[in-house]
Amino acid sequence: MFEREPNIDIVFRNGLKNMEVLPPPDVWDNIPHLPARRSRLRVVTGIAAGIAALVSLTLLANWYLRSNNDETRLAELTFPSGELQAVRIDGTASAPVAISDNLPAETAALPAAIDKRADEEVLIAPAVEPARLLADEDMNLSNRNEPGSLPASADDITQIVAGRLTGTTEDQALALTPAIPEATSQRFIVGASMSPSMGFSSGSEDMRLSELMNGERSRPSLTTGLTFGYKISDRLTIQSGIGLSSIGQTITGVDVFAGLSDFYAVKSSYLYSVETASGLILAGNTDLYLADGQERVETRVQGADPSKYQLTQVGDDIQQVFRYLELPLMLRYKVIDSKLGLNLSGGFAYGLLVDNMAYTGTGSDMVQVGYTEGVNIHNLSSQLGLGMEYNISSKISFNLEPVFKYYVTPISDIYGSFYKPYSVGVWSGFFFKF
Amino acid sequence: MPGLHKEKDIIDGCLSGSRRDQELLYRRYAPKLYAVCLQYAGNTEEARDVLQEGFIKIFENLSHFSHEGSFEGWMRRIIVNTALERYRSRYYLSRVDDIDEVTEPEADPDTDDFAGLEAYDLLNMIMELPPKYRMVFNLYAIEGYAHREISEMLGISEGTSKSNLSRARDILQKKVMILTGVTRRMVNV
Repeated sequence: MFEREPNIDIVFRNGLKNMEVLPPPDVWDNIPHLPARRSRLRVVTGIAAGIAALVSLTLLANWYLRSNNDETRLAELTFPSGELQAVRIDGTASAPVAISDNLPAETAALPAAIDKRADEEVLIAPAVEPARLLADEDMNLSNRNEPGSLPASADDITQIVAGRLTGTTEDQALALTPAIPEATSQRFIVGASMSPSMGFSSGSEDMRLSELMNGERSRPSLTTGLTFGYKISDRLTIQSGIGLSSIGQTITGVDVFAGLSDFYAVKSSYLYSVETASGLILAGNTDLYLADGQERVETRVQGADPSKYQLTQVGDDIQQVFRYLELPLMLRYKVIDSKLGLNLSGGFAYGLLVDNMAYTGTGSDMVQVGYTEGVNIHNLSSQLGLGMEYNISSKISFNLEPVFKYYVTPISDIYGSFYKPYSVGVWSGFFFKF
Repeated sequence: MPGLHKEKDIIDGCLSGSRRDQELLYRRYAPKLYAVCLQYAGNTEEARDVLQEGFIKIFENLSHFSHEGSFEGWMRRIIVNTALERYRSRYYLSRVDDIDEVTEPEADPDTDDFAGLEAYDLLNMIMELPPKYRMVFNLYAIEGYAHREISEMLGISEGTSKSNLSRARDILQKKVMILTGVTRRMVNV
């Protein structure tokens, strides 16, 4: 005889196995949006790759422009016959070449003559191998006074100015002495500049994101900034500063009507939301009724059909604007250092979101719609520029610099790392050196 | 149409930060997980907090899910651990006399007499248990943990775990019998 009792464990295990209870509706509302979680390694790798690309581009541009300059100089070399002859220089010949004892003294002194004055056209007369001339040019000037090297004197140089033999005076020889660049003493730079820019978005494999981007159009924006720089060397400057940049887009095909609050009024932080590639626009303006044909608009309006109300259309698109306070850190390399110079710049900028707005209409008809949820407050962008620098005076210069900017971190985490816009702009501004 | 979305797609969407996919995941699994929360929490207020906190952890740790086991099981473990953390921080476990030997009920797969019990009734019975009995019963009988594991989870001795389980079973058995009208029957061998 024994007591037959249920196996209570099994009763409860089986009974509760597939149980479902609807949680209170406000639980989801209290779960915050959690952004995409990227590994730190990916971010670091991306930054490292960006820096590597930047350095490579700088070196490549430097090499290219230098080789172009060499060819220009070669074209200026003449032979006794008076013919201009360009000779391609073998890179290996650019090392200093020992001067043979049987060469005339004129030949050894030629490097000094190549540092010509800007207002004189200097042509080298003797029949000397062009490769050797350029190789000698690269020699450090101080080496020329070392024992064993031949001194450069004014008498050693024969000049042809405007096609005539002019001989060389001592004054001219002094003028040929390489001058210490004035810029070396002006190590600090302050400037103000602005740039109209246009943002773009690359395609995405995410089908929904692609659909959304098809309904969005880039809008032009203006970026302004103050720049502070320090010249590390004659060619290299490190720059920072502060700027206000904005990016944004136009969400097309969303009809916006005003006057809803006359018919439908509830306490809610928003009544309509619009799905966009960079986040969810929450229409905090509860007087607006939003409609579109692409299933981007969702509503919290219940038990009413605003499309039947007599409402006033105030727009057929929504402008989405994000403004960032930017702190850049840039390196600027002077590829060509002359009155009209050429600079290659690159670096990163940290951006802090200071304004996030969505509106429709323009000017006095502008109607605030709301803001975009899910936009990252912080971002990191990289930028690369190739600019011209015109020296108005020894202290003031004007810069014109096309800049390509790419957002390393996504603008929004709604679609994770897929949404990283880029922009192209032209910076222009004045710089003061001191 | 949530049912049309594949689980992996939803997880990938959540990982990329899509709020829409996060909501989809929540809507799909919250009812089952809320039932688990009620089992452990004992009241709706506490259960709501466990569910909310648990889902935040699920989203935060989603990248650690290896796709090798059951995703629902993985989420359930997070919810249970969240409930345990809250329990540990809120309740002082009063020690009861250790019992070395606990009489295990005989395995009786024939539980037809109790098939009429509604899941809600069973849930209510568990929720009415004192917290210390409820936790041990849930971990042992429902989740399948051993007493050694339970003792580590709750910071109690194995003996305490066993005695708490024994007490929980007694209470539940009585409640079940009262509810079903099944009384102890004498069975002739």
